[in-house]
Amino acid sequence: MPIPITIADDSLMSRKAVRRALPEDWDVEITEACNGKEALEAANSGKAEVLFLDLTMPELDGFGVLKYLHEQQSKTVVIVISADIQPEAKLLVDSLGAFRFLQKPLQPAQLRQALFDVGLI
Amino acid sequence: MNMLLSEEQRDALQELMNISMGQAANSLARLIEAKITLSIPKISDVTPEQFVSMLSDQTVWYTRQSFLGSIKGEVISTLSKQGCDAIGKLMDYQLPLTQDRLNELLLELANILAGACLTGFAEQLSLNAKLSMPTMYSATSQHYHYRWASTLMMEVEFKVEVSQFDSKIVICLEEASVQTLLAKLQQLLE
Repeated sequence: MPIPITIADDSLMSRKAVRRALPEDWDVEITEACNGKEALEAANSGKAEVLFLDLTMPELDGFGVLKYLHEQQSKTVVIVISADIQPEAKLLVDSLGAFRFLQKPLQPAQLRQALFDVGLI
Repeated sequence: MNMLLSEEQRDALQELMNISMGQAANSLARLIEAKITLSIPKISDVTPEQFVSMLSDQTVWYTRQSFLGSIKGEVISTLSKQGCDAIGKLMDYQLPLTQDRLNELLLELANILAGACLTGFAEQLSLNAKLSMPTMYSATSQHYHYRWASTLMMEVEFKVEVSQFDSKIVICLEEASVQTLLAKLQQLLE
């Protein structure tokens, strides 16, 4: 059974960068979301066992998504991939239960390490 | 409005600017220990007339610096007059700021933000661009000389809410550099 994952980023280029960084032999079904609302819809309909989440997005930002998932005690594993790398953003993301905070530009090795650490690959 | 760029190219430029401004904000945030709010980058075509009309806002200070390398152009930084004292304080400047010390502060801020924005941007595209030191610029006392007919302008805005201070960094590429940039961008998108 492929693992349902969602890539949430308003930038097409960044969504592509995440796709390219995924391990080639990892059996997944990918959903793409262009904003926080779409990310939550995906999570609520079981399409996001893992959620790769950007922070600055229209409609609902990544913090809003994290907050909602945290309140729902969601089992979604969230890996934040952010251009905003200020200490305060990291602290907030950690307090909202994200599994890992990765900086943009995304380093594929770091993404794979995060998936390995969470026991998915 | 924008005839130069495809939607995909615009998205890519916006995201590259977004990443470099994130790095710039992080440098400043660590220095002043305050949170910085980032805007969504604006990418547009401008004519010299449009560009010059941006340089007459009386509520801000302007600095200019040029850059050379595989891409060439100019960076204009605007720094709000409001909030300068508060930022100065966070950066251990003695208050009240004399004009000399204020200029020093403005040039330091411009250099941190513009430097990180441009370096981050160029690095992601494997381009090199060396930025000169900034100088203060005043539209009323200096005539702006331009050597281009139209160009690509990338604009980002930083706000330090706690100090009510904001700064814009505007990167203008020379016409010839736009093609270099687009070629590199294409490699990244393939």
